[in-house]
Amino acid sequence: MLEIDDLHVAVSGKEILKGLSLSIDAGEVHAIMGPNGSGKSTLSYVLAGREGYEITGGSIRYRGEDLAAMAPEERAAKGVFLAMQYPVEIPGVTTMNFLKTALNAQRRARGEKEVDALGVLRLVREKAKALHISEEMLKRALNVGFSGGEKKRLEILQMALFEPALAILDETDSGLDIDALKVVADGVNALRSPERAMLVITHYQRLLNYIVPDRVHVLYGGRIIKEGGKDLAHELEAKGYADIIREAA
Amino acid sequence: MTALVLPNRRVEDWKYSDLRNAIEPEAVEFAPVATWNVCLSGSVEQNDLPEIMPRAVHGQMGDMAASRAKFGLFLHVAKGQQGAADLQLANPGHGRALIVVEDDAALVLREHGRADGFTNLAVDIVLGPNARLKHIREAFRSEAVRVSDYALRLAAGANYRAHLADFGAKLSRTELHIALEGEGAQADLSGVSVLGDGGHADVTTRVTHASGNTQSTQLFKIIAGGKSRGVYQGKVSVAEGANGTDSRQTAKGLLLGERAEIDLKPELEILADDVKCAHGAAVGDLDPESLFYLRSRGLPEAEARALLMRAFLEDAVGEIADERIRAEVWSRVEAALAELSA
Repeated sequence: MLEIDDLHVAVSGKEILKGLSLSIDAGEVHAIMGPNGSGKSTLSYVLAGREGYEITGGSIRYRGEDLAAMAPEERAAKGVFLAMQYPVEIPGVTTMNFLKTALNAQRRARGEKEVDALGVLRLVREKAKALHISEEMLKRALNVGFSGGEKKRLEILQMALFEPALAILDETDSGLDIDALKVVADGVNALRSPERAMLVITHYQRLLNYIVPDRVHVLYGGRIIKEGGKDLAHELEAKGYADIIREAA
Repeated sequence: MTALVLPNRRVEDWKYSDLRNAIEPEAVEFAPVATWNVCLSGSVEQNDLPEIMPRAVHGQMGDMAASRAKFGLFLHVAKGQQGAADLQLANPGHGRALIVVEDDAALVLREHGRADGFTNLAVDIVLGPNARLKHIREAFRSEAVRVSDYALRLAAGANYRAHLADFGAKLSRTELHIALEGEGAQADLSGVSVLGDGGHADVTTRVTHASGNTQSTQLFKIIAGGKSRGVYQGKVSVAEGANGTDSRQTAKGLLLGERAEIDLKPELEILADDVKCAHGAAVGDLDPESLFYLRSRGLPEAEARALLMRAFLEDAVGEIADERIRAEVWSRVEAALAELSA
């Protein structure tokens, strides 16, 4: 599904990712763990196609295609979804209208029939319930005045609605209390499927108690310095990053 | 005969709208008298202008129009009556109109401006006690030079709501001189200017709180793309003794390129003690984070830009209470935005 090979990425001329390699197959959930400044967010943004992230070396292939050559909207239409750490607030656009516009933009790009307002409403309602997202929230302006937990739940709602093939979750646990974390993790787990790959990016092991990964990669200094099964997350929690970094050095 | 000197950038009030630069004095000097196509419904009477006009405070061009247009349009809604009037300029030139809405009467006034050439209108509006006027004015994109100068007087309890949409012209200037003369009179003004390459739109408001417990709100949004210029200058004056005045003034601009310019100039002059007045102005660009967010959810760039621009205008257009009229204005605004974001 996703093959990242020796990826180098610079932001404002400064190299952040320095030869990152990673491969994820359909049906797998991988976790990327790393301390602050290791390049976690850079990886998520470069996968989603944000401007200002310059690929200076290596490649990203998604389903055999060159992901880096695609515009952000093209990636979305082809099934790449990034649940952002800081979803933006957009006054003047209702959440419901945004969901409808985005869903149909993706469908249009794929040559699929658009879903009418009522159809979108049905789809959203059904998925919103499980995530404890109220009708009232959907009528409000996108993310405006939403709590941290509400914003993260809305990201997962979008993931459920768009049904991406590759979902990247960037620090989805940050700012969540344990109850909110469970709701979000349940939402994510419900979307695990043999056709879908997920990349869970996090600083803490806590989220991985609820979203149990198949593989764990430790990112440090712009490179993967250690890989392992789900137990690696526990090891990290027990030892802290410093020990792992020392061992890898 | 001395040559006519048109308002120009050396005149403070016309600093951002140089009329002298936009048109030859002869075209102004020899402009004919403007006429309207009028469509009325409900209890609105149409007559010739009366011999004696009510006192009105216009700007320089409004005074000129008033002195040059020897005939014009007079609309009248009698006490307690209701009606609607649709005005469309039939022939450009100097024009004069008087609109009187008497005690407890209500009028919905719609104007559509499409005329080319030179237009200079002076419109006097008088609202009696507790009269209500909803004024929706759309000025379409054209190569015209157009000045519209409204002078309004509001008696006690009268209510004026204005909603402007200007899509730009070679020079487009709208002046609203509003005197809140009676206790409890209220004026709510909102407007959007959506300007593409070569467009200009200037909204200049002068609101005077002459009596106590009067209220005014203003919400203006300007989007300027290409080489264009959007202007808002609004002055709110609170007269001595006009206690209990409540005034809010907001103007925001969205610049889409290096060659576009937006000038916002809110002003406040307060001579009373017990008043609530707030004003704010800000100009910015489309937020790149928001743009990326929308694109990452599948919206093509042009569509994402158009959505953000629409969102920027949402509250100002949303001031139009009538759903049907609001939808009509939105459809024209969206068409203009689609052109800007293409």
